[in-house]
Amino acid sequence: MVINPDLILTVLTKLFSFETLLALFAGTLGGMIIGSLPGLSATMGVALLIPVTFGMDPVAGLTMLSAIYTSAVYGGSISAILIHTPGTPASAATALDGYQMTLRGEGLKAMGITTISSMIGGFLSAVALLFLAPPLSLISLKFNAPEYFLIAIFGLTIIGSLTTGSIIKGLSAGVIGLIVGLIGTDIITGFPRYTFGLTPLESGIALVPAMIGLFSLSQVLIQVEELGKVDKEKVMAELKGRVLPTWKEFKSIFITIIRSSILGIFVGILPGAGGDIGSWVGYNEAKRFSKNPEKFGTGCIEGVAAPEAANNAVTGGALIPLLTLGIPGSSTTAVLLGGLIIQGLIPGRELFTTHAKITYTVIFGFMLANILMGICGLLAAKHIVKVTKIPSAVLGPIIVVLSVVGSYAINNNIFDVYVMVAFGIIGYFMRKTGFHPAPVVLALILGPMAENGLKQSFVLSKGNLLGYFLGRPICIVLIILIVLAIASPMILSKLEQKRKREVQAQA
Amino acid sequence: MKKIIALLVICLFALSILAGCGAGTNTPAEKDESKEAPKEIKKEEYPKKGITVIVSYSAGGGTDTGARILLPHVEKELGVPLTVVNKPGGGGWVGWNELLNAEADGYTIGYINTPNLMTGYLNPAMKRDKTIDDFTLIGNHVLDYGAIAVKADDDRFQTIDDLIEYAKKNEVTTTSTGMGSDDHIAALKVNDSVGTKFVPVHGKGASHGKAGVLGGHIDVFFANVGEATVPHKNGEMRVLAIMAPERSKFLPDIPTLEEKGYGKIYSWSARGLAAPPGLPQDKLDKLIAAFEKAMDAPEHVKKMEDMGLLVKWMKGEEYKKFLKEDEASVIKVRDLLGW
Repeated sequence: MVINPDLILTVLTKLFSFETLLALFAGTLGGMIIGSLPGLSATMGVALLIPVTFGMDPVAGLTMLSAIYTSAVYGGSISAILIHTPGTPASAATALDGYQMTLRGEGLKAMGITTISSMIGGFLSAVALLFLAPPLSLISLKFNAPEYFLIAIFGLTIIGSLTTGSIIKGLSAGVIGLIVGLIGTDIITGFPRYTFGLTPLESGIALVPAMIGLFSLSQVLIQVEELGKVDKEKVMAELKGRVLPTWKEFKSIFITIIRSSILGIFVGILPGAGGDIGSWVGYNEAKRFSKNPEKFGTGCIEGVAAPEAANNAVTGGALIPLLTLGIPGSSTTAVLLGGLIIQGLIPGRELFTTHAKITYTVIFGFMLANILMGICGLLAAKHIVKVTKIPSAVLGPIIVVLSVVGSYAINNNIFDVYVMVAFGIIGYFMRKTGFHPAPVVLALILGPMAENGLKQSFVLSKGNLLGYFLGRPICIVLIILIVLAIASPMILSKLEQKRKREVQAQA
Repeated sequence: MKKIIALLVICLFALSILAGCGAGTNTPAEKDESKEAPKEIKKEEYPKKGITVIVSYSAGGGTDTGARILLPHVEKELGVPLTVVNKPGGGGWVGWNELLNAEADGYTIGYINTPNLMTGYLNPAMKRDKTIDDFTLIGNHVLDYGAIAVKADDDRFQTIDDLIEYAKKNEVTTTSTGMGSDDHIAALKVNDSVGTKFVPVHGKGASHGKAGVLGGHIDVFFANVGEATVPHKNGEMRVLAIMAPERSKFLPDIPTLEEKGYGKIYSWSARGLAAPPGLPQDKLDKLIAAFEKAMDAPEHVKKMEDMGLLVKWMKGEEYKKFLKEDEASVIKVRDLLGW
């Protein structure tokens, strides 16, 4: 990138104008609130506010939208941690360890770790956006149907390790998710599968309502059972401690944050894979690399830091192909595309030449938004965390109301509310019988991605599927990764046994 | 302690209500108040209150953006707010069913996207009993013709003739935004008329298709002028031909298939406005007049042109005839679609 002093000066003047700063602040706070409400995702937040930006200055309007994007992804984690209700699909992974920490009375610490991880992830992605946009956008084009198929399969290998209990139960939950993912119109033949003549089912089970049902409503149902009992100590646990992690803790998660940020940026760059996938990839890789993978799911700080850094890193990553190629890297950026076009900004080279002033100001604004989000989050954490002190008799109904509103609002469709309730009941019985809802959600996201990728590969390969896959270098790398992911636990446990035997022999 | 709890509860409820309102009605909440005055004056006539406009696709998409650019000008004509409500799903049919079932009082209208609407009921697997004849037609807004493009550095094809000659002998993959989409049908029409072997790869939208072509995975970009103009001007792709009766003003140098001697192969994606069946004639006339005037608003035309979209107003018999042609062209390729 050529550093042009004139450009930097203009960018700074534009950025620190009153209107832009106000938009930045409003976007950050608004995004946090939108994100923390279940069902109101970053995508919706951006979609809701695009009409508002019609009349605004392009810099202020776009800065606000990008601020909403990143802070809504962060906000989604607040409710995931405190009330086990992921505010956005991107924070479903955070709920696993975050909520366990809250149950132990470490909600404040979880919030602090989330905030710092999100801030670092988001900030790094903004830096990546600034410097790597043009070169990285070329890599994203190398990915197509066969690669997506393999990425989805790679993602599905996580399922076995997601649940702390039985692997069989984890896998069966994954299969349920895959089956649910089959509902909807077959992309190649146009045939409606398992729709029972219901038009809303033709586009498949909507992810957000299903997720809200599985995570939130089922959680409320479980809590309702315990209402009469005196077992409130858990939730009412003293919220001691500080927001900021200790230096030692920070050092222990630093590598995780950096790794997750890089993974998140990368997932973001890929068209079609957004924060929901990024957070799972971040979580799983942290678990794979961890010395104590068995701690994941019980409320460990890496389990919170990993998905959080990743899902915020996705935001900047997803903006890279959007700005350079007009190809959205996530569903939120698909909506952002509309916001750009309305301002007369057509993605492509012109954004970095003719409209460079606007583009770079928005990028710097995005960077600033991530820092602002971190500061706001750290300052507000102490107050927000009090939500856990609300007795479940009060909190339960609120979550139900939010779940219904959120499910309806996503598509303005009452059918989605029925979907939410149905999945709430399914989730309740799954929990009662020791199944975890997380693999269902993961399979529901990845199943359709794998199916479309494979079916498109059939057409693209013109009959020679195996040759087509093996002729693509990225595919080969992905296949090796998948084999390693499946085989490594077995090899590792063999090695472990061997070592133990040697130790015993020596003794 | 109790105070804090109460406060939090109130805050959460207020937020949820706010969010709910925001999602349902988008901006016009404020507009409602500002338009209070003119509403009072025309008390006896239609329209007395705000009109809901159903858009069967998500917010931020092409149809939605186009609607939000046009509707403020219609508001000026009618003196009441027009509120976009997005009802995505079912390939558009969630919204269209809702429009068909709404009360024909003139307070609910919606966008219809063709030929997607026709393929939705001509596909026998969908078992739908509603057709284009069930809607009360207002008029057409956008008409986006088909375009055929390749990656800018694809040396195999310099002209449309190169491509067609090659595709007669070899299988060539093309982008498609879905089974029965206008892009799919366009490729089938070319196959049918000139004997090419285009194989559509169904994806989830024009942006997926664009990524596939730019990455060299899919050979040909079958899309619309509105989608192909920007990559063409950016030098990422070369548009080889358009599938229209005449050249596009956005791409004046690009020939049509017809002038190249391949016959009348046209393809388009159109979107217009319709109301539920049985809308009284006086209300329909009012709506048509308001939309007709709004179409000419310079700001509207300019913004649509910036997006590379052709505004083509059609009403009454002309619009009906156009839609019937649209339907007929899908019926014609029914066999090719396997229906």
